[in-house]
Amino acid sequence: MVEQLLRLKLRLLGNAFRRSPWRIVALVIGLGSALGMALVVVAGLIGLRFESASAASRGVEVFGALLVLGFVLVPLVFGVDDVLDPRRFSLYGIPTSSLATALAVSALLSIPAVAMTLIGLAQIVTWARNPLALVLAIIGAPVIVATCLLCSRVSISVAGAALSSRRSRDSAGLLGFAALAGFVIVFVLIYRTNWLQDGANVLATTANVASWSPFGAVWAAPADAAQGHFGLALLRELIALVFLGLLWLAWRTLVKVMLVTQPRSSEGRSYRGLGLFRIARVSPGAVIAERSLTYWIRDARYHASLIVIPVIPFLLMVPFLIIGVPTPVLALIPVPVMALFLGWLVHNDTAYDNTAIWLHLASGTTGRADRVGRVVPPLVVGVPLLLLAAILSAAVYGSFGILPALLGVGLGLLFTGLGLSSVGSARFPYPAVRPGDSPFAAPQSVGTASSLIQSLSFVVTIILSSPTLLFAGLALFLPGPWAWLSLLSGLVLGVLFLWLGIQWGGRIFDRRSPEILSASVRN
Amino acid sequence: MDSSPDQAPAPRTPAKRTTAAKPAASRAATDAATPARKVPARSTTDRSTAPRSTAPRSTTARTQTPRTQTPRTPTARSTSDRPAPTRTPRPKPVETVLSLEGLVKRFGDTIAVAGIDLAVESGSFYGIVGPNGAGKTTTLSMVTGLLRPDAGRVLVHGVDVWHDPVAAKRNMGVLPDRLRLFDRLTGAQLLFYSGTLRGLNEETVRTRTSDLAGAFGFEDALGRLVADYSAGMTKKIALAAAMIHSPRVLILDEPFESVDPVSAANVTQILRSYVDAGGTVVVSSHSMDLIQRICDHVAVVVHGAILDSGTMASVRKGKTLEDRFVELAGGRTSVEGMSWLNSFSD
Repeated sequence: MVEQLLRLKLRLLGNAFRRSPWRIVALVIGLGSALGMALVVVAGLIGLRFESASAASRGVEVFGALLVLGFVLVPLVFGVDDVLDPRRFSLYGIPTSSLATALAVSALLSIPAVAMTLIGLAQIVTWARNPLALVLAIIGAPVIVATCLLCSRVSISVAGAALSSRRSRDSAGLLGFAALAGFVIVFVLIYRTNWLQDGANVLATTANVASWSPFGAVWAAPADAAQGHFGLALLRELIALVFLGLLWLAWRTLVKVMLVTQPRSSEGRSYRGLGLFRIARVSPGAVIAERSLTYWIRDARYHASLIVIPVIPFLLMVPFLIIGVPTPVLALIPVPVMALFLGWLVHNDTAYDNTAIWLHLASGTTGRADRVGRVVPPLVVGVPLLLLAAILSAAVYGSFGILPALLGVGLGLLFTGLGLSSVGSARFPYPAVRPGDSPFAAPQSVGTASSLIQSLSFVVTIILSSPTLLFAGLALFLPGPWAWLSLLSGLVLGVLFLWLGIQWGGRIFDRRSPEILSASVRN
Repeated sequence: MDSSPDQAPAPRTPAKRTTAAKPAASRAATDAATPARKVPARSTTDRSTAPRSTAPRSTTARTQTPRTQTPRTPTARSTSDRPAPTRTPRPKPVETVLSLEGLVKRFGDTIAVAGIDLAVESGSFYGIVGPNGAGKTTTLSMVTGLLRPDAGRVLVHGVDVWHDPVAAKRNMGVLPDRLRLFDRLTGAQLLFYSGTLRGLNEETVRTRTSDLAGAFGFEDALGRLVADYSAGMTKKIALAAAMIHSPRVLILDEPFESVDPVSAANVTQILRSYVDAGGTVVVSSHSMDLIQRICDHVAVVVHGAILDSGTMASVRKGKTLEDRFVELAGGRTSVEGMSWLNSFSD
């Protein structure tokens, strides 16, 4: 059984290379970067061999625990597509134990497993300081690999079972909110810490917690031995082994349960009337806007984007905070960043419809109506959000004189970005998460083209808005009408580019709509 | 719209509609022999009500679109001045409402459609049959403007789909196979969306939605998300969305797949009365029985080419459609070497 599944896994990996050249390129880049990162970690671990045992132990414990935790959290949050889902074997009548073993062993044939093996071997080098440390590190290497792989197997299965129905996938937004809350707490902690003074202490405390957690214990055991705490070392090795045993039991139980539970579909709740379709007068542009808005409200993929919008500016602030940039300066970050992302959000909107776009083709909808409908939701969400954010930012900055500049930059970036997105989503739609899939799942095929389009649309938006940004920059340092000039330029240029984008994008859509549909069929 | 001098005035359309509602056999007989029975039916006051009671489209809906007022069959059928009861079969409508000329589509090295010519006359119920992968869906996608052909052209009511798509698509109702719907909308919202994109006003969409829901039997499901529908329900709502704007031609790709027999019978009846009223239906399927039962014309497509087409009788040549199809498509492969299946492993 083990041998058969290993061969199956190998075949699946091999087939990945038999697709289109672009996918192979993407795969090779993915493989290379994963192994590259692993090699950086390996180099770091070998380098730590020449540090003092206590300094090395802190780094290894915190980083090691984070790695293992990553194997738990990544599948939960991002929803990995499981090629070896136990449920796929339910019709073959394979005994549970041998299936569980075989599936776990076949997980060894994967990029993360190779990376973790390298890292596991490297930490032997770090702790080759006395016999017990060496022995514990050698035992630790396979334990680390097994713990990581079992963690991800269990986590993938739990995520798969919990998110199997469409309805629960739609509420994955809740998970996003939980992540948001967690992020806010961490952000506040980072904000409150004076990194230049207490950085080392924070690391030590975190390492202490990590070393007692089941995720960090296996990394801590050889570190303790190297520092001469032999009893402690054995205790932590025990914790690690017990955790591994429990993981195995959990995995076995999950396989057993999953073999007899098939995903079931849920009866959805009922809506009354036409919802948002009652708002506006009937014209193709208006109904497409109402349909788009309905999707923004109902579709988890749009929820995910909306949650990310307010988080990104704060995420960007973290490094500035750590190097000690003053708060008033930081207050200028959110408005432009949010505006940029809001405008960028719909740059691949056509692909979000997937093949449902056929309706627009079959009904002879004009490209202009299609484009207009798609930019309405970001405007409805974005304009009030940016107004509010600009007022708050100006208040924190300490001068409302800057408010017109903030508004000019915000609205200018939003409108210009939407104009550009209108062209981009008609000309360069690339594979997106399909409707009904987990919003965090990676689309089935990602080429390098997509990341090029993503970064290009950012850069071009900024270039097109450069006059507005320049005026806003001048308003920060010079007296004069610069803030108001920035507002004027932002509105005029923004509206102009939005209009141009809709016209041009509409014409592209009229010409290329069959190709857009063909692209979505391949997705 | 058209005002050709050789066309007789208004009564012709209702006449055809009225007769169409009657059993086919009696049609020719009553045609001229018993004119007295037909006179009231021909009066203009009657025409909007009499034949349409079985159809899903509401009266108001019909009269709002001006094009439905033009006769769908321009053939002169001046029964009044025909002297003798000649008992001719119902004259075939001559207008070609859909024509495919030399359609070709390649995907890389494979030729999916290798030059298809087809003319569909108005008022016909046209079946397209073929094995899996024969190019049925590819052909219909090119007809409906969803897939750009490599060569050839498609005319819908004389308008080229790929040159004047807006005008051509207005005349078509489309049910594609295996494409998604906007399934985060409720059933009612999806019908509203499809109708308004087709340029119907809100009131019309509302009445037609309730009519269609009644005819297809999904009144209870109008408030649920289409994503939560079963496969058959999804097919039915898509069908309803395809005909909400009362098009001249319905292009339906596998309309009966995963639809239960009762609903299928309902749908068939709806389509029949639509055809009897002068509409044209093109359906693809690999269910030969079904096509033989409901269609009056058929085309057999194998390997991207039409092997035979025409009226059902001319294609069948006295056999069942299935036998004739197997004969055309290259015969059945004999099943050998499967004897192990007859001795169970346990």
